[in-house]
Amino acid sequence: MARRPGSFTSVAQPVRSFWSRFAFALLLAGAFALMLLGKADILLVERFRTGVADVLAPVLEVLSRPAASVSDTVAAVRRLRDLRAENERLRIDNGRLERWQHVARRLEAENKALRALTNFVPEPNVAFITARVIADAGGAFVRSAMINAGAHQGVRRGLAAVTGDGLVGGVVEVGERHARILLITDLNSQIPVAVERTRDPAVLAGDNTRLPRLVYLPQNAQVLPGDRIVTSGHGGVFPPGLPIGVVTSIDEGAIKVMPYVDWNRLEYVRLLDYGLDGVVKPSGGNPQFSVMGPERSDQDRLLGLGPR
Amino acid sequence: MRMTATQRVDLWLRQATPIALTLLLAILSAVPIGVPGYTAVVPAYTAMAAFYWAVFRPDLQPPFALFLVGVLQDILVATPLGMTALSLMVVHGLAVSQRRAFLGKPFVLAWFGFVLIQALASFVAWILASVLALRPMAPEPAVFQYLVTVTMFPVVAWVFVRIHRYVVR
Repeated sequence: MARRPGSFTSVAQPVRSFWSRFAFALLLAGAFALMLLGKADILLVERFRTGVADVLAPVLEVLSRPAASVSDTVAAVRRLRDLRAENERLRIDNGRLERWQHVARRLEAENKALRALTNFVPEPNVAFITARVIADAGGAFVRSAMINAGAHQGVRRGLAAVTGDGLVGGVVEVGERHARILLITDLNSQIPVAVERTRDPAVLAGDNTRLPRLVYLPQNAQVLPGDRIVTSGHGGVFPPGLPIGVVTSIDEGAIKVMPYVDWNRLEYVRLLDYGLDGVVKPSGGNPQFSVMGPERSDQDRLLGLGPR
Repeated sequence: MRMTATQRVDLWLRQATPIALTLLLAILSAVPIGVPGYTAVVPAYTAMAAFYWAVFRPDLQPPFALFLVGVLQDILVATPLGMTALSLMVVHGLAVSQRRAFLGKPFVLAWFGFVLIQALASFVAWILASVLALRPMAPEPAVFQYLVTVTMFPVVAWVFVRIHRYVVR
């Protein structure tokens, strides 16, 4: 049964209610203080956050397993139902891919020959870390995911997280046993990208909706719906050429991009370690995203030169 | 009346149930369950719990414990530290002050109360998130989450009522 407040003794009541009011006000003030501390980027707060998350990571890992197996079962049933149609689709796909493979082989050979001719500096080798998504923080204000690999497994801040479909986001917080990925749809996510067809540089800015926007395009850029968007590699944050998504709509001042990643089935991500440090190097006052031929800027980046 | 040790542990466990449940909900709201479109609209389960227990058993929901649960949820969900804690405090404070209006009345009235209080709490959270990010947040996800939360409230409250009746007592 619910206890009525009237059941307290009449003497204790005023003291109690004063104390509880005071404590309540104190807690409100505490919440504001925490927000200010968090905003001030104090190392201690950061450590506290990562520490608590590290402790909770195993709990989340256990909890996320049954949840994942439920969704696996649902997916398995759905797959059984669509088996015939999928077979047909795969057969067509296979034919198409075989043609692509042929083209790719030819291009690879050509590439190799041209690289030998031009003394091209090869891309650094890539190391992979594959991890499971254990928390998938949604809500109204953040788009991030927690994974079950941390500093122990060699995760560093700034690594790019991808699935088979495309870029998921970048690592922003690393604990001992967990790491947090800021998804490309988050408000704080800004990624240097390029329109694949025209090589126009731009920035992909998240706004917490499903479709991030393309901003800072050059004046004369001609973007069409269906254009593929890939990372440009500018700023040294992400390696160039990772697929991100396609342009879906172009309105007055807002170009929306539909990411390739299926956010509903974000179970495993792969972290790519290209040995980039994830820090934008000072470039002598030049604009960061100057309109430049892609060959030139790529080569400059690889040779460690700033834009001229 | 003297109680045996078992009785005391039993009572303690029963009385710790509400806040433990809120804690569990805070953790669960971060677990990926793979339902299409779910992550964008995870309902504010902890706000529902805070409201329910503030109205029906405020003695079992110490504000400080609720505050800690809020901070924990902030850490899990990566919202600015203290934001969820504050909005839970708002829900708790308002619900406790208005609880007489809901006690012994039909459930619809409590639901209506939650609709109003959660609207204010969501708005406060939106303002805070925008101030802390130094730019206005897109309002659509917040509004959507609010609508899902208040729509889901009767379902979750039904579970709370069972737990209240058979476990907490």
